[in-house]
Amino acid sequence: MSGGSGLQRAQQFMILATGLYRASHLTVGVVSVARHTPGAPAAWGILATAVAVSLTLYGTARAGGWFGRRWVWCDVLVTGCALPWAAWWALGGPAVYQNGWLMLLGGSASSAAAVGLGIRGAAASAVLLLATSLAVHVVVAGSRSAELVGHLNAVLSSTVMAWVFWWYLRRQGALLDAAQSQAVTAEAARARQAERMAHHAALHDTVLATLTTIAAGRVDANAAPVRERCAREAAYLRRLVQQEDGAPQRPGVPAPGAAATAVGAALEAAVRSAECLGLRVAAQYHALPVVPREVAGALEAAVCEALNNVRTHAGTGEAFLTAAGGGDGALTVTVVDRGAGFDPAAADGSGGTGLRRSVHARMAAIGGAAGVESAPGEGTRVELRWPA
Amino acid sequence: MITVAVVDDDRMLLDGLRSWLAGVARLRLLAAVTTVDALLDGPGHGADVVLLDLVLRDASAPEDNVRRLRAAGSRVLVISTVADRARIVAAVAAGADGYLTKDHDLDSLVAAVETVAEGGTAHSPELAFAWAHDACPDRPRLAPRERQVLLDYASGLTLKATARRARISPNTAKYYLDQVKEKYRRAGRPAYTKTDLARRVREDGLDG
Repeated sequence: MSGGSGLQRAQQFMILATGLYRASHLTVGVVSVARHTPGAPAAWGILATAVAVSLTLYGTARAGGWFGRRWVWCDVLVTGCALPWAAWWALGGPAVYQNGWLMLLGGSASSAAAVGLGIRGAAASAVLLLATSLAVHVVVAGSRSAELVGHLNAVLSSTVMAWVFWWYLRRQGALLDAAQSQAVTAEAARARQAERMAHHAALHDTVLATLTTIAAGRVDANAAPVRERCAREAAYLRRLVQQEDGAPQRPGVPAPGAAATAVGAALEAAVRSAECLGLRVAAQYHALPVVPREVAGALEAAVCEALNNVRTHAGTGEAFLTAAGGGDGALTVTVVDRGAGFDPAAADGSGGTGLRRSVHARMAAIGGAAGVESAPGEGTRVELRWPA
Repeated sequence: MITVAVVDDDRMLLDGLRSWLAGVARLRLLAAVTTVDALLDGPGHGADVVLLDLVLRDASAPEDNVRRLRAAGSRVLVISTVADRARIVAAVAAGADGYLTKDHDLDSLVAAVETVAEGGTAHSPELAFAWAHDACPDRPRLAPRERQVLLDYASGLTLKATARRARISPNTAKYYLDQVKEKYRRAGRPAYTKTDLARRVREDGLDG
């Protein structure tokens, strides 16, 4: 009962609760058969049938996340309606007295039906179960009326109580989901705002400073270092425009309580630090998700690492960075160069082992994954995925 | 000898290109103008390859510009400062034969012009990225192989490395990229979404 949405948790709880209810009835059955009719194979057979149907119903519900309608009906019809008659036929009247273990099963069948079949199915199965009890009472000699009333009351209240619990939990679950999604949206907006502030600060320190200096006539605008700086800052502006232009950033799946942050600013920081060291980076972004802060931090460090590797080992002045969000809040980042590359199979440690180890470790720490591919003369490709 | 014309409304860039191309013996620059109208009315009409700025200040739609230049018998290589992905995809679907950002060096530009002049497609990681992440609902359906090649080429791998990754020959990889272009050509796409038009109106101050 740890994960999932509020609705899923409500469903998991109802499966557990009605399952325990059924388990308590089956326990009574085992004790009763062992005590009163331990030598009757038919009694054990009927008990085994009830256990098998219960296991199927709750096994499929657990595996699939919710009750399968046909298994609920199967339980109502077999356990609740057919088994009493089978027991009466095989074992005689006392086996199906209204307070016996077999009739008890009708109560747990009605509770599963109340949550698993919707209101009409629940009503229909309650009527079926009550009619079965009544018919059994009429047919079986020696069945006492007081016990019948008690049993009918138990079936009815099981239905109503299970339905009310389910209704309440489902409503709470929906409210919880709505609140959660609102919180995620607010967090995403806050992260966007923070990213915008980071961009403004960066614009102030770079483009604005450069333009102001040139406008003041203090430097030769055509000097090589100034032109390099302009090219770098033009590239930064280009990426900035592209990021704003792309699809809106969608909230990813921030862990509860973890501060979320837009990943674009973190990647930009890595790109700018590589550019300051003279590497040209062609970066393209698409639908970047909002991620927990430590994920953004680890991605920034891993991208830095990969870009550093291009700068020091690839023998090329250019690297390519792409980052694209998937629909489900997942993110794939690649750092690629068209440089010297290396032989990944080289045993002497030159085969990019250091790079592989460092990006792997960083990504593994945040539940992500990394891949490094290369071939001599064909450049290197580093892929970072989050989540793994 | 390949004849070339340029349509761009940035005078600085026009001057730059003029002096750049003057040094290339294989190319002859016929005209460098600021609108498609000016190009079609002047000596640039019918140039082998037209370098067309993606977004011109005269509010003309990129795909209309591409179609008019194609009708005049030129092949079109689209260039832009910012990779505006929806417009790039639309321009290539309308008949442009390639896309480059303006920050490339002279050699890449000349290579792209030559490719386009020979009837090929000047692929670029930016164009591949625009196709790979096209979210337009009526985009053509791509085969898994085409998508993989597209994504790998968009990530910056060379065609050769892209091909090695997919365990195919570079020629086949190139064929897949060309296939994607063909699919977009055939699908033809509505030029602009309503939001694009609305933005355009705002930018032009037409809404008062």
